[in-house]
Amino acid sequence: MAEKSFETASQAYRSTSSEGSPMDTPLRKVLSRIPGFASSWGKKKAPRGRRIFHRDVEEDEFQYGSSHCLSSYYSVFVARLAIMVMLAILIGLLTVLTWHFTRVYTTKSLNTLAYGLRYELLQRPILRMWNILNSTSEITTAQVKLSEYVIRRYSKPTDQAEQIEQLYQMMKDITWALFASRKALNAITINYRNGFVQAFHRDHRSNNTFYIYSNLANYSISDTESYDDKMQSSRQGWNDQFIHGNVSAIWYRQPLDPVTGEKKGKPSQIPPEDLINIAGPSQVPDGVASWHVAVSKYTDSPLLSAALPVWDASNTSIVAVVGVTTALYSVGQLMKELVEVHSGYIYLTSQEGYLLATSTNTPLLNNTAKGPKLMMAVNSEDRVIRMGAQWLQKTYGNKFPPGHVVHVEKANLGGQHYYIDSFFLNLKRLPIVGVIIIPRKYIMGKVDERALKTLVILISASVCILVIGCVCILILTNGVSKEMKLRAELISHLDARRRAEASSNYKSQFLANMSHELRTPMAAVIGLLDILICDDCLTNEQYAMVTQIRKCSTALLRLLNNILDLSKVESGKLVLEEAEFDLGRELEGLVDMFSVQCINHNVETVLDLSDDIPKVVRGDSARVVQVFANLISNSIKFTTSGHIVLRGWCENPNVSSDSGKFSPDQKKPLSALKTKLKQHGNHMKKASKKDNKMILWFEVDDTGCGIDPSKWESVFESFEQADPSTTRTHGGTGLGLCIVRTLVNKMGGEIKVVRKNGQGTLMRLFLLLSTPADGIEQGRIDFAKHSVAVILALHGSMGRLIMSKWLLKNGVPTLEASEWNELTQILHELFHARTTNSAFDTHYSPAKPVRSKVQTLQDMKNPVYIIVVDLGLLDLSTGIWKEQLNFLDKYSGQVKFAWMLNHDTSNAIKMELRRKGHILMVNKPLYKAKMLHILEAVIKESCVEPQDRSPNVTKGTLKQSDSHECLEIDSTQFETCSSDESDISEMTGANSVSSARTGEQPKEGTVLKSSPPTLRNCLVEFTRLGLEANNLRTEEDECNGRFKLHNTKDVKCENPDSSEQPSFTSNAKDRDDSYTTNKAANEQKSLQGLRILLAEDTPVLQRVATIMLEKMGAVVVAVGDGLQAVEALNCVPDGDEYRTNRLQTEICDSPPYDLILMDCQMPMMDGYEATKAIRKSEERTGWHIPIVALTAHAMSSDKEKCLEVGMDAYLTKPVDYKLMVSTILALTKRSADQRLTQ
Amino acid sequence: MDLFQLQRRLVDYRASLYHEDFLDEQFSQLQDLQDENNPDFVVEVVTLFFEDSERLLNELAKALEQPIIDFKRVDAHVHQFKGSSSSIGAQRVQKACIAFRNYCEEQNVEGCLKCLQQLRHEYSLVKTKLESMFQLEQQILSAGGSIPM
Repeated sequence: MAEKSFETASQAYRSTSSEGSPMDTPLRKVLSRIPGFASSWGKKKAPRGRRIFHRDVEEDEFQYGSSHCLSSYYSVFVARLAIMVMLAILIGLLTVLTWHFTRVYTTKSLNTLAYGLRYELLQRPILRMWNILNSTSEITTAQVKLSEYVIRRYSKPTDQAEQIEQLYQMMKDITWALFASRKALNAITINYRNGFVQAFHRDHRSNNTFYIYSNLANYSISDTESYDDKMQSSRQGWNDQFIHGNVSAIWYRQPLDPVTGEKKGKPSQIPPEDLINIAGPSQVPDGVASWHVAVSKYTDSPLLSAALPVWDASNTSIVAVVGVTTALYSVGQLMKELVEVHSGYIYLTSQEGYLLATSTNTPLLNNTAKGPKLMMAVNSEDRVIRMGAQWLQKTYGNKFPPGHVVHVEKANLGGQHYYIDSFFLNLKRLPIVGVIIIPRKYIMGKVDERALKTLVILISASVCILVIGCVCILILTNGVSKEMKLRAELISHLDARRRAEASSNYKSQFLANMSHELRTPMAAVIGLLDILICDDCLTNEQYAMVTQIRKCSTALLRLLNNILDLSKVESGKLVLEEAEFDLGRELEGLVDMFSVQCINHNVETVLDLSDDIPKVVRGDSARVVQVFANLISNSIKFTTSGHIVLRGWCENPNVSSDSGKFSPDQKKPLSALKTKLKQHGNHMKKASKKDNKMILWFEVDDTGCGIDPSKWESVFESFEQADPSTTRTHGGTGLGLCIVRTLVNKMGGEIKVVRKNGQGTLMRLFLLLSTPADGIEQGRIDFAKHSVAVILALHGSMGRLIMSKWLLKNGVPTLEASEWNELTQILHELFHARTTNSAFDTHYSPAKPVRSKVQTLQDMKNPVYIIVVDLGLLDLSTGIWKEQLNFLDKYSGQVKFAWMLNHDTSNAIKMELRRKGHILMVNKPLYKAKMLHILEAVIKESCVEPQDRSPNVTKGTLKQSDSHECLEIDSTQFETCSSDESDISEMTGANSVSSARTGEQPKEGTVLKSSPPTLRNCLVEFTRLGLEANNLRTEEDECNGRFKLHNTKDVKCENPDSSEQPSFTSNAKDRDDSYTTNKAANEQKSLQGLRILLAEDTPVLQRVATIMLEKMGAVVVAVGDGLQAVEALNCVPDGDEYRTNRLQTEICDSPPYDLILMDCQMPMMDGYEATKAIRKSEERTGWHIPIVALTAHAMSSDKEKCLEVGMDAYLTKPVDYKLMVSTILALTKRSADQRLTQ
Repeated sequence: MDLFQLQRRLVDYRASLYHEDFLDEQFSQLQDLQDENNPDFVVEVVTLFFEDSERLLNELAKALEQPIIDFKRVDAHVHQFKGSSSSIGAQRVQKACIAFRNYCEEQNVEGCLKCLQQLRHEYSLVKTKLESMFQLEQQILSAGGSIPM
């Protein structure tokens, strides 16, 4: 049974688990507490369940979204309900089964027992009855035998009277003896033929014994013959007369001593109605024994009387009839006793239904007028017996089942249940039916009672268990459901997050794809514009327009790049390059570029790099520049007046440096860094150990509108702007700072907004950049040795301050002037004080500090004065500036002037300056490197020609030295920038070139590339100023990586005056000429002599690329697939049919080609395979032919794949002319270098 | 016809080709590459393109007729077609190729067939356009004029 219930339980669990799959986990948890049983199917079930669970959850999440919580709540509720119902069913089943089985078995066994008991109970009175009958018959028989004997003995006819007297006496004695021996006997009667009756009677009620006899009417017993006839004829008559009809007879009753039989009193005559039942011959009509039940008035119980005839000797006639009467009283007694012990009712009836004996005390006889009569059982006074008998009669009528055996277990008698059983005792003359009625209560009472109790207890117990179970389930599942709810919420959150991430991913992906799609045509546009710019037949207007278009395209491309960067970073595809670059130079270029913008805004851009910043660092220069470009442009956007300072200092994590001069709150970043370092822990340590990492701190400090402190974090989010209204006023997308932060983080740094004293924003960041291990600190000129003094006459106070500080630190005494008057004062002070008496000066009385400084300057021995003059100090709006210039000219013998030019300084002024011999002209802003150049130039000059300073000569030498310098810088510049993105490298390249050209040259390059409004000016300038134009061209050349040209040009166009004369057109022509020559030369130069193997399957592309390369002077061999490419490398490339005939190939030493352009997707063997094969075959020779991949996919993953198989670079289709050239040059140059070193 | 008019027509025609997106910058780049050394460069390349395209179109048609279509091969062909059309600057053909490749990725036969039809159409369009342009150029050249850029 227990097993069964468990089975059902497990089924129930299974069903619930398959129904409510979200409930699976908690259910399993619950189930796992049932050891063994749960595990067996749990193992099988769990994975599916879990899978379903996940899938369901996923589906649910997607389908129902926010309604999930509610539905899960419902499902939990339903599941809980289901468990409870299951529990209830289980417990109910248990209860019912327990009750049922206990009851059934008990009842059954009890019934069996009760049946036995009843049978036994009934059997005993019947047996007693039987005994009584037996004993009665025995007595009767004995009496008969004795009578026969006595009668035979005394039947001699002699002496009749006497003999008869003796006979009767004898009979009396014998009869007494018998009667006395049987106490149970009621009476013994002997009825002689002659009518004489002898009877002994025992009255049990009064406990008296009587002898009853009739008076002797006819003694004769002998006239048998005559009597025989008479008897034969009228037996009936004899009979009647014999007992009742013999009215004439007188009856006497004599009481006897019950023990001895002595006569106690006189015989008294009794009336015939007092007579006891005396058996007569009528009772033995056929001469055999007979039985009947009689009643007597002396007993209230029926009597059993037996009669037997006494035959004469000849055995032919009956001489007497012997009757024995026994009271059935004892049977009733027995029954009573039995019933007393066992309760219930027993009664015996004759077959006709007359009551013979009952277990009750109710009378068995009806006292009618005719005397007592037997009573029917249905008329019994006892209620139960009567009802039982009636019930039996009603149920069975007269058709009793065979043998009268009835067993009824539940007879309803008067509202109570009884067992009724009847038995049938089939005596020959007296069939007896025994019925026992036992109240069910007696046998089953306890059981019924107990069953009820059990039921009640069971039900109450199960109800209790149910309640407790439900409560337990509630409590247990409450936690689970809470957990479920939380989990559901968590899942939904996770899902929402995942979806958000996915959508953001899609966005990034989309952006990446889109920007790639956009970038490709943009690159083409720019490339084509470059070609167009180089074209000959453009008018000036067209040229200007094209240049402008190019600039706009560059800007657009930059924006696209921004988006691509961001999406790249977001999709985790950004890979930082590791290349050495000159950080200072990059930043200077940046500041140069932005200062042009700033001047219009009346904002000063200052670069303030500390000296300990390593010159060359390893990293991704483009990204570093991008960071600062974004930061500075951001600052410019929000700064209307004041300054923007880009500070930088270095902090070696190993050595705590002494850079306290930069900011008062230096300690803060340090501590921040420390924590950061701690966080980074081992990783950082390892990195710094390996790569010699340095931490470079930067600050971008502006005086703009500032950022609300609450937005300090959020400004770095994408599309986030500190103030939404700024979009209106300043524009922008809010991407810049986001890119900055991601890039900075990528470089192992951090950026944050720092509290600043005063107006504006202070962004502080640090970058982890490694410095090359062999970083050589270049020898610095000791300026103090050269006794140089500098007067800074600059507008911008910040830049001036910083510069003077730096100069002072380097041992150069400095004076500052912020306006023209101050400058004149200082000059006056300085030189007049020298020539005249110093005491005179007091009248002039410049400000005290200036005085003291002037004094220190005057203390120097033969100093070289350098006056850095901002052109803005001159009054340019009127004609006064010429006078001012003239005024300064007075000092030109004693001091060197270095002019700070604005980017839009007109040529007239420049010409004028040049004419006056002021050849040191620098574009704003002034920073360290420029100052260094100025100082170096001056020192060099003063060394070379200490006394005689003719302007022309100076100019020449200076120019040469400058250009030389220029070249030097350029070559390095090119190398570092070659791998950058074209626009940035170009820009920075141009900037740094021009920045390097300190002496003679205002920076048209910068102007050209970054400020549209001045473009026209420049162009006009070009036409009029051959020198400038020429220099610009050289710059351009240098940008493209071509150099060594302009020395000759310089010579050609040396005289600036000459170029002023010719007409517009001729000039243009001149320019054109120079361009064509230039271009031709360039192209000849660019790829001249390079042997290039082109592996490309598309014939169109093949042709295009071939022509492109050939145009640049390369020797191209084109093959159709990778296999051919490999073969072409292996065999001598002579026999190659793809080779164009007009190209001369030099089949020389090693290797056959300088470079391979490899399409990635080709039939037979694709680019990757081919590259692998080539690299493998190269292992024998030790060559390394650069392989450039050409792919249509421009994702960085492709790039990685390309580089992985051994390619050196990577170009996207359609091929960008310029990029291709620069890439090829970079690679071939490197390999050439390698070859040289070999 | 007047030479000047012819030149004018060529310029207009070419502009219209750009304008209607038949050609893009790549084609002008091609024209830039043409010089004394390769006087017929553009024609040569375009002819190459025609040959290649026809071959590819045939291949594609054949590949798509197969009961079991090898989409990889189809894709490779289309990729090649795309490459060649993009280097010639046949923009609309290139766009059709992009759509075609998308269908290839989806393995959508009907879409592929439709795209092939489209591709054919675009190709024939660009072919006639280019051919008529070359004819004009020829006329100008035969009239002794130079081809304006």
